Amino acid sequence: MSFNFDLVWSSLPLIIQGLGMTLKLLFLSSLIGLFLALFILLLRISGRWYLMWPAMAYIYVFRGTPLLVQIFVIYHGLPQFDFIRESIFWPVLREPFGCAVLALSLNAGAYVSEIMRGGIIGVDKGVKEAAMALGLPRWQQFIYVTSPIAIRLALPAYSNEVVSMLKATALASTITMMEMTGVARTLVARTFAPYEIFISAALIYLALTYALQQVFAWIESHASRYVKKER
Amino acid sequence: MADLTGWLDDYFFGTLVVLQVFFVALGLSVVFGLIGAAARLSQSRIANGIAKVYIVVFRGTPELLILLIFYYGIAVTLTNVARYFEPTAGFVNFPPFWAGATAIGLIVGAYMTETFRGAFQGVDPGQVEAAQALGMSRFQVFVYVRMPQMWRLALPNFGNHSLSVMKDTALISIIGVQEIMFVAEMATTVTRKPFTMYITVALIYLLITTFITISIAYLEKYANRHLRGSR
Repeated sequence: MSFNFDLVWSSLPLIIQGLGMTLKLLFLSSLIGLFLALFILLLRISGRWYLMWPAMAYIYVFRGTPLLVQIFVIYHGLPQFDFIRESIFWPVLREPFGCAVLALSLNAGAYVSEIMRGGIIGVDKGVKEAAMALGLPRWQQFIYVTSPIAIRLALPAYSNEVVSMLKATALASTITMMEMTGVARTLVARTFAPYEIFISAALIYLALTYALQQVFAWIESHASRYVKKER
Repeated sequence: MADLTGWLDDYFFGTLVVLQVFFVALGLSVVFGLIGAAARLSQSRIANGIAKVYIVVFRGTPELLILLIFYYGIAVTLTNVARYFEPTAGFVNFPPFWAGATAIGLIVGAYMTETFRGAFQGVDPGQVEAAQALGMSRFQVFVYVRMPQMWRLALPNFGNHSLSVMKDTALISIIGVQEIMFVAEMATTVTRKPFTMYITVALIYLLITTFITISIAYLEKYANRHLRGSR
């Protein structure tokens, strides 16, 4: 048993070919997930039961089931229905890429909306009251007073969520997507050198995680710069 | 519903496998978490460094990739070991159940490490001093004073981590454990009703995660019962 470093060097460029797909999945699904999360959040904090109830059910279902099951329900499950195969969404849902992005976005939407809600709950009550006392209408209170503070409070949790989304993109390999894990799996099937190839892939993921954390650490310090001044 | 007839017993036994993996992996994650927390809190720089690397690696790599490294890696290693003694030995298969449960235990153990570390630090130092003043040994202080208070502080995060263990169990179907995802795949090839089959899996998971959430809430209430009167 020996660890073949030549194999690591020769397989790294091949695995990196899947990097583009991993980043595409991550970027698209975190973007769509963010908008979805905002929408769910607005329903959730609307104070009207007929809006809150569906949002809570959505969050409950998507946080209570494994992402892999969600991906399989969407990719393998939805084509069971004729109306989906005949709908305008079929060109998207037919492709594993569309299904992966859809599943990842729906999943992220549920988690991120809870993170956002956590941020909003954390906003000091006095600040909200001050905004109310200034006579700002509700939507202005939300946009100009609550949101900026809530975003700063939610950033650490959001950065963790983006890292777990990066890790979640690996699940797309189960529905034939050729992102990094998918490429690594085909390479292992060909060479049968699981250590060398999977560890190479793991190193790239670790580098990506580190990079993401650095970016978010910078954004966090930028967003909290006024906190430092106060001290 | 009619499509499920004849498959319910398979789902039942699949669910039992999921629960087995869950309990084994959860137990392992607590063990790894305690060891990790002990290493993080120890004076030894080496133990501290190892624990840090453990956390970074297992939190920054996709769960699926770790699972694949474990499953294929162990198989290849064992085969090589077997061939060392017996050159004609065939391919050694490692039970995917144990490879999967260990991998999940290690992944979630990395998260548990941080939770337990924080919880140990959250125990009032005055309590430990008081116990020492009473002449308790270090071991007694750990078992009777620090542990019971640590659990209470760790419970909310512990609940979230046990939900991750539950959701990660869905991955082990990929390495060939015959649990409910596997049942759904098998049932789909026969009935051609993938949505029905995978949605059933989702419902089973939802049921189990709901049960875990309720149990944790109950445990938290039980652990905090001494605070009830003071508020």
